[in-house]
Amino acid sequence: MNKNNDIKIPDIIPELERGPLWLKEKRYASREAYNRTPLPSRSLHLWRYTDPNKFTIDREKAVDMAFNEGYDAVEKMELNHLKEGNLAALATDLGGKTINFYGIEKLTAQGIVISTLSEAVEKHHDLVERYLYRLVNSHTGKFEALNGALWNDGIFMYIPKNVTIENPIHLLRESGLANSVQFPRLLIVVGENAELTVIDEYGGGSQNENKEPSYTNGAVELFGLENSRTRYIMLQRQQPSATFYLNHRALVEKNADMLTITLAFGGALSKHNFGVILNAPGANSNMYGLLFGSDRQHFDNHTLHRHLSGQTTSNINFKVALSDKAVSAYTGLIRIDHKAKNCEAYQENRNLLLNKGTKAETIPELEILNEDVMCSHGATVGPVDLSQVFYLCSRGISHTEAVKMIVNGFVNNTIQKVPKDLQERIQTYVTERLEHI
Amino acid sequence: MSDKKPLFVFKDVHVEVEGKEVVKGVSLTINKGEIHAVMGPNGSGKSSLSNALMGHPDYTITKGEVSLNGKNVKEMSADERSRAGMFLAFQYPTAIPGVSVANFLRTALKAHRGKDADMSDFRKLLKAEMKNLSIDPSFATRYLNDGFSGGEKKRVEILQMSILNPKIALLDETDSGLDIDALKTVSEGINRFHNEENGILLVTHYQRLLNYVKPDFVHVLMDGRFVKSGGPELALKLEESGYDWVENEIRQKAKV
Repeated sequence: MNKNNDIKIPDIIPELERGPLWLKEKRYASREAYNRTPLPSRSLHLWRYTDPNKFTIDREKAVDMAFNEGYDAVEKMELNHLKEGNLAALATDLGGKTINFYGIEKLTAQGIVISTLSEAVEKHHDLVERYLYRLVNSHTGKFEALNGALWNDGIFMYIPKNVTIENPIHLLRESGLANSVQFPRLLIVVGENAELTVIDEYGGGSQNENKEPSYTNGAVELFGLENSRTRYIMLQRQQPSATFYLNHRALVEKNADMLTITLAFGGALSKHNFGVILNAPGANSNMYGLLFGSDRQHFDNHTLHRHLSGQTTSNINFKVALSDKAVSAYTGLIRIDHKAKNCEAYQENRNLLLNKGTKAETIPELEILNEDVMCSHGATVGPVDLSQVFYLCSRGISHTEAVKMIVNGFVNNTIQKVPKDLQERIQTYVTERLEHI
Repeated sequence: MSDKKPLFVFKDVHVEVEGKEVVKGVSLTINKGEIHAVMGPNGSGKSSLSNALMGHPDYTITKGEVSLNGKNVKEMSADERSRAGMFLAFQYPTAIPGVSVANFLRTALKAHRGKDADMSDFRKLLKAEMKNLSIDPSFATRYLNDGFSGGEKKRVEILQMSILNPKIALLDETDSGLDIDALKTVSEGINRFHNEENGILLVTHYQRLLNYVKPDFVHVLMDGRFVKSGGPELALKLEESGYDWVENEIRQKAKV
């Protein structure tokens, strides 16, 4: 297979014909953009660390939807969480082909909409047309255009004004095995003074590293309307041979609060792009990242905090731990516009290298276009602090155990911010990775 | 006193830091039940000596012997030394974010005993020791030394010593950064810990801790060597006349 071939999306394929006319137009525009846009240059900072060729499609690939055995266990666990009342609802999305919803009756009774995107296109036409493609579209980038043209199906959620959902809604998105291609899409509108916690979990892919990877290209659009409170938790735990691409954008309106937690453990090659746009005074965004790479995993993360309005605040704390030969690149952009006065923006990226052979890049970028702001950033890359190790050892704790404790401590604050029913699983992923150091 | 039993012995210890010799051959025998104080001006090698004795990898013992209860500890790693019964209270305890005091102490206790401490026994022990040292119970769930004041850190060092109950405790400038009340509390903690079976090596710049914790012997360390030893009165003399007095005395001797 020629990896350098920038394959075009053909003219007539059934994927482009799905939906009403306006949607078809969007799909065709996205197709045009994908075909027209050359592969990003490796000299562009966002692509300096990762080969864009890995995210093109090869139409020869089967969209065969066999699924990983591990999936059933997670589904069962989350169904139990739902039964026990820890979740408000559960959605399972098998490569966009089969999407099931559990426990949504109560939510529907409160006027909440939770359905497939294709169903929403029909039943909530105006809402979907108003919001879909507004934040991630054919202009965003080549691979966003790819999703925009070909998304199989996706999930739509609308929380009406003044409605609070206390427990998380859990979305379980499963990719197929080797050679599969899927384009999950998520659109969420959190109405005025409404509250939502959503866990967006991506699993699947082949466990066999020698096989062709599965490819997942996802898009997430979130709207937090005035006074709303949204918590979005993304968990990526795909199998060792998976290729993963995700673009996430959230728009935060007046006095609204957005919490974003990104948890990345899986996949062979992942490129995540998380962005929050602060659109009106009082908008606030907190973003916490936790990434633990092992083996030969390659992670490329970008975060964006864009302050379009004055009197907005943002904070990012992105933590990376790497072992074996894992690699991570993090670029974090804070952009504060000309007229956005009296903003506060903070960014921190800490990288812990657990052995030689790991590699982490950290590039903070600040584009501050006015002077009435409070802004700071900090970044560190390095091994575990030896004075911490000695301190623990001097109390009788072995070197290996000391390192584990320090790494657990490093990730602990972030895990504490994750909804309770997910904490245990995240801790397990960390513990599993620490067993090999 | 014929019943003296040597507990912690080091002979002709030389210590190097980044290729530079900072301790130049010191020897000391601490018998069971004894408290020794090592005093000296800044830069005399006090902290280097205590770190090296505990097995800090940056402080190499290039020459000499160190033994605890007749057992050679020089080749042991820091964690092995701790489990053998050594303890170092740090001058500047390191913060470990994300690791709670209780979780840390339970793990350390497990390492010492080879098995998990019973949860309710451990809670009782921790609660009682914290109360003894006037440490607020909320500190059990706080991250170790993270955001603690100087005084809080020192109390938590003594808390660890009380719980791990070592045979020999090296206390490195435990009095520094303490106000008078904290100094009293910490001293009481040290005195409660001390018994006929264990030993203490107090490393300090000032005499004031020795008002509360009475040493049997005082040794003056200057430029990496013990230059003078005596009883508790030596500490008082140092407080009164300063380290210049010892220096002058040495110079006089050299002339003679």
